[in-house]
Amino acid sequence: MPRNPLKIIRIALAGLTFVGLSVAFVDFRGFAPPILGHALAHTQFVPGLVSLSVGAGIGALIFVIGLLVALAIGRIYCSAICPLGVLQDVIARIGGWLRRKKKFLPYAKPHTKLRHIFFWGAVAAAFVGWGSFALALLDPYSNFGRIVSMLARPLLTAANNSIVGFANAVGTQSLYRVQPAWASAGLLLLPAIFLTLVVVMSALRGRLYCNTICPVGTALGLISRFAAFRISIDKKACTKCGDCLRSCKAQCIDLRTGTIDASRCVSCYNCIGACDEHGVRYRFSWKKDSVADEASSPRNASDPQRRDFLASIAGGLVASSALLTRAKAEPSSNTNDLPTLVKKGKASRTICPPGSHSVDQFLDRCTACHLCISACPTHVLQPALFEYGLEGLFKPQLKYTSAYCLFECTRCGEVCPDGAISPLSLAAKQVTQIGVADFYQSRCVVAVNGTDCAACSEHCPTKAVTTVPYRDNLRIPVLNQNLCIGCGACEYACPVQPTKAILVTGRSTHTDAEILIEKKAMAPTPSNDFPF
Amino acid sequence: MKTRRDFVKTSLAIGATFSLAANLNSLFAAEAVAPASTETLPPPAPSGPKPILVAIRDGDRVAMLDKALEELGGIKAFVKPGQTVVIKPNIGWNAPPERGANTHPSIIGRLVSLCLAAGAKSVSVFDHTCNEWRETYVSSGIEKAARDAGGIVVNGNDQTLYREVQIPNGVKLKSAFVHSLILDSDVFINVPVLKQHGSTNMSASMKNLMGIVWDRGVWHRTDLSQYIADILTLKKPALNIMDAYHPMVRNGPQGKSVEDCVEMRTLLASTDIVAIDAAAAKLLGHSPEKITHVKIAHEMKLGRMDLENVDVRRHKLA
Repeated sequence: MPRNPLKIIRIALAGLTFVGLSVAFVDFRGFAPPILGHALAHTQFVPGLVSLSVGAGIGALIFVIGLLVALAIGRIYCSAICPLGVLQDVIARIGGWLRRKKKFLPYAKPHTKLRHIFFWGAVAAAFVGWGSFALALLDPYSNFGRIVSMLARPLLTAANNSIVGFANAVGTQSLYRVQPAWASAGLLLLPAIFLTLVVVMSALRGRLYCNTICPVGTALGLISRFAAFRISIDKKACTKCGDCLRSCKAQCIDLRTGTIDASRCVSCYNCIGACDEHGVRYRFSWKKDSVADEASSPRNASDPQRRDFLASIAGGLVASSALLTRAKAEPSSNTNDLPTLVKKGKASRTICPPGSHSVDQFLDRCTACHLCISACPTHVLQPALFEYGLEGLFKPQLKYTSAYCLFECTRCGEVCPDGAISPLSLAAKQVTQIGVADFYQSRCVVAVNGTDCAACSEHCPTKAVTTVPYRDNLRIPVLNQNLCIGCGACEYACPVQPTKAILVTGRSTHTDAEILIEKKAMAPTPSNDFPF
Repeated sequence: MKTRRDFVKTSLAIGATFSLAANLNSLFAAEAVAPASTETLPPPAPSGPKPILVAIRDGDRVAMLDKALEELGGIKAFVKPGQTVVIKPNIGWNAPPERGANTHPSIIGRLVSLCLAAGAKSVSVFDHTCNEWRETYVSSGIEKAARDAGGIVVNGNDQTLYREVQIPNGVKLKSAFVHSLILDSDVFINVPVLKQHGSTNMSASMKNLMGIVWDRGVWHRTDLSQYIADILTLKKPALNIMDAYHPMVRNGPQGKSVEDCVEMRTLLASTDIVAIDAAAAKLLGHSPEKITHVKIAHEMKLGRMDLENVDVRRHKLA
């Protein structure tokens, strides 16, 4: 029997979510079934919060279960579920190996003010309708997703490409090249800075990021203060040897008072195994006498500032959920009464994925985790810079310059964890009009050059673009916008430079296109003999 | 000087006359038109013996393929022991075989087996697909059929596998990025599917060769039909085998449903890529000169579209 079974469970869970999500975000070959990323993303706090606010069933349920777990045993989420948390542990561990001298992190006071600022910033953003913008910037899961999807994925794709030639030379076609999906430099800057910040903070100070900047850490810290089971130190058994302190990545064990700051403890269980006296362990903390026993109790009346903090955080949680719920109730009509900041979504002609219903609803729900971007087989889904307005920073948009949305594909909706892109059946996707093409005959090759082309019509899956006879035995494209679903195959295929002759404009609210239904085709020649 | 445009106008006028005259007798009419229009052309292209065109009807695809090859002297007339073979089917679109958008997998599977049985060192299969290549290779059924038969299925959507080559004899196309399998293999077999096409009216053997080049945008931008003919001056397939079992006759080349296809139960084979496409045009009810790239290729003496100067061998298997 291992000495510290809790830690083993924690590491097993952490490995599962970290490796599973990494695979889902890196997966440039579409190996992983969509359910992998979808299911693991469902365990995440912020997607769960969004699911709850929009009433999406399973996500909301898992979110509530997650809250109950935190109320029972503390911030296990931060150690076992959050991929950014696990990433920090990995970085800290590597940092430890690289150091010649063993270094340990002493107890440190909490940065309560900074935690206030980031947490209340997010809540305030929700009040003015920018909740999903704040969540997109601060959600640890979404940040992890962007780091892997925008930085690790293209690097690993390039690494794959560099060994394809060798693999083919030794006779296997099982490896093949994939175009690495690099975002523009401007977009890469932010995740790169963020990653640097996390690397530095975790290498030097363990879980400082989680206990200072991360609003999810702050929210769960609040709940953990009231957890039924909290880790505490048996003062009678304690020899003040400092073993627990040395094992703590959150710098939350104060040996002078013999207390553990439950709001910062990430439930890694290192200290439990470190204590030779078995004095550090979970204890039931809802008994009256245990409250009286423990100086560490948050209910200790000696600290009114802390009490205020707790009360206001509780209020903030409720407020942010309520505000997000409003986004669900009236996704596109409720922006006028927002105090100052006007949303850009309504005016946007940017194309959002099929299943997202409208740009406004999409921007309200999406936290830009990039799971859909990683799952998209053609890279037509790309992170936006300011195409949606500032609010849509990093959120996926469809760009038709080098790819188009595949007619037979519904993957983005299958992976999305928070209802920003709802899953569509293939039949529904094939009529969902996310945009509409416009044909500019004055630029068309057939009209300008007098040569054959019609690449647009060739690629059109719905036959919204067909061709009709034109002068000199040519055929020229004609467009029926009612059949167009805005997939962009025509725009992608159009060879005209610099401005294409057929361009898709996004629909701010998606609708259904018509379907072309035709009778059986007639044989062009008598069908029982050779016509030559 | 008579330009191509003038010729097209003439033939359009002729075509219009004949379609008004007798739809049902289009077979007779088309043949009556052909000699008239060749008078306006330069003298028929290649000298030497007449090219052979094999046309088979009313069997299953594999039986028709076997019969066609037998008529052409067997696969061993084309594939010698130790040679590398590349087969270029049409695998353009993510659609199942019954949609007629791609060459039928049974033909590819059979052909791979025959080449290997003839002693080929390797048989590779690829296309530069229009839809996402992984899904297209799978849904077309060709990847499985080719692999099961022992063929090597190669990525056609990998730019690094294409090499730039000069095309000195092209009228407009002077260079292109061509898949290295086409450049390096000993035997090149072209296996298109017959389809109506929204821009060139017909996609058959010549149009299928757009799948051997990388930079197709330039083709579309510059002069599609001329480029399609020009690429033949680089390398012509040793053999063309055309699947016309149930050709797509509208909404081509992608098609929308099986309703776009009609049953014709036909397979064509020829070493002359222009002759086979001339016959294909007639299967779709066009006179060959109406298909601009076929007419250009004939004029460039890359093959002959005047079927009366072709040794056509017709067989009905039922």
